[in-house]
Amino acid sequence: MLIVLKRKGKLEEYLKRKRDEGYEVLIPKAIARELLDEPRKYAEEVKKTSPALASNIINSVERMNVAIKQGLIKVKTVNYRKYSEIMDNVRRHLSQLEAKPEHAVKKGDPELITIIVQLYDKSREKVFVSTKDEGLLKALKPFEKRVEYEVLESVQLN
Amino acid sequence: MAERTTSILKAIGNPNKARIIAHLAKHKGETAEDLSRHLGYPLPTVYKYLRELEAARMVESEVKDRNQLYYPGDFKLIVSPENLMEMLEEQSVTDVYRAKFGDEGMQRFKEVVEKAKAGKMTFRQAASTLGITYYEFVSLLDETGAVNE
Repeated sequence: MLIVLKRKGKLEEYLKRKRDEGYEVLIPKAIARELLDEPRKYAEEVKKTSPALASNIINSVERMNVAIKQGLIKVKTVNYRKYSEIMDNVRRHLSQLEAKPEHAVKKGDPELITIIVQLYDKSREKVFVSTKDEGLLKALKPFEKRVEYEVLESVQLN
Repeated sequence: MAERTTSILKAIGNPNKARIIAHLAKHKGETAEDLSRHLGYPLPTVYKYLRELEAARMVESEVKDRNQLYYPGDFKLIVSPENLMEMLEEQSVTDVYRAKFGDEGMQRFKEVVEKAKAGKMTFRQAASTLGITYYEFVSLLDETGAVNE
């Protein structure tokens, strides 16, 4: 969702609005890599054939980096010692859905779900999930009894 | 097409390279040594230019009696507002994806998106299924409008 907001030039506006409403926008490390490292690598790959696209991506990554540096997006680390079992469960669940070995499951989903559990355990406050990813929300379902979360309805991508 | 125009413009933007092509148009079948002597460029520079011009298909070569002979390539450059627009127009992630995977890849993308939208897989799983990064997948969703439907 952050990627789409960034592409539409609405990321800063969204982040500032959320901050003013008293929310903290948190992402796990694996997602930070998806927002910064993956697009950088992709831009490098397409630089020769699509220089304008590559340059736009690099600029966009830089602005995302600034949002992280300014604390508008906070990168949270999973407490692996305490939550490795949850991570393993999520990974197993996703690997069954995907019919792929557990090690082939991308880190972003398990880390995101684990961070939600971790945040709730710590604060006992409702965690809001901003996403358009129905599959991710389905993967979160088994944790409903343990974690109180809500999908943030106010996300406008258009 | 735009890529080809860009490489031609780049080559003839360098007057030394343009001179090599012009010289070969008049003196077909010269060697690198001939070109170096006639144009007064150092031989390593001539080799470098010839390599680049061959890669851009603006110069061709053949080996005859152990000598590598160079000829001008068969190309035409038409500069019009339309092809400049095509050349400079911003390409999208979808264009890059289509160029790489073709129409079949686009069809596969649509099928995977349907599964993701039905919640049968996460976006990351969808990206992994297609063999692309999460960033590419989300960009494709955005550009094709699938994420807002």
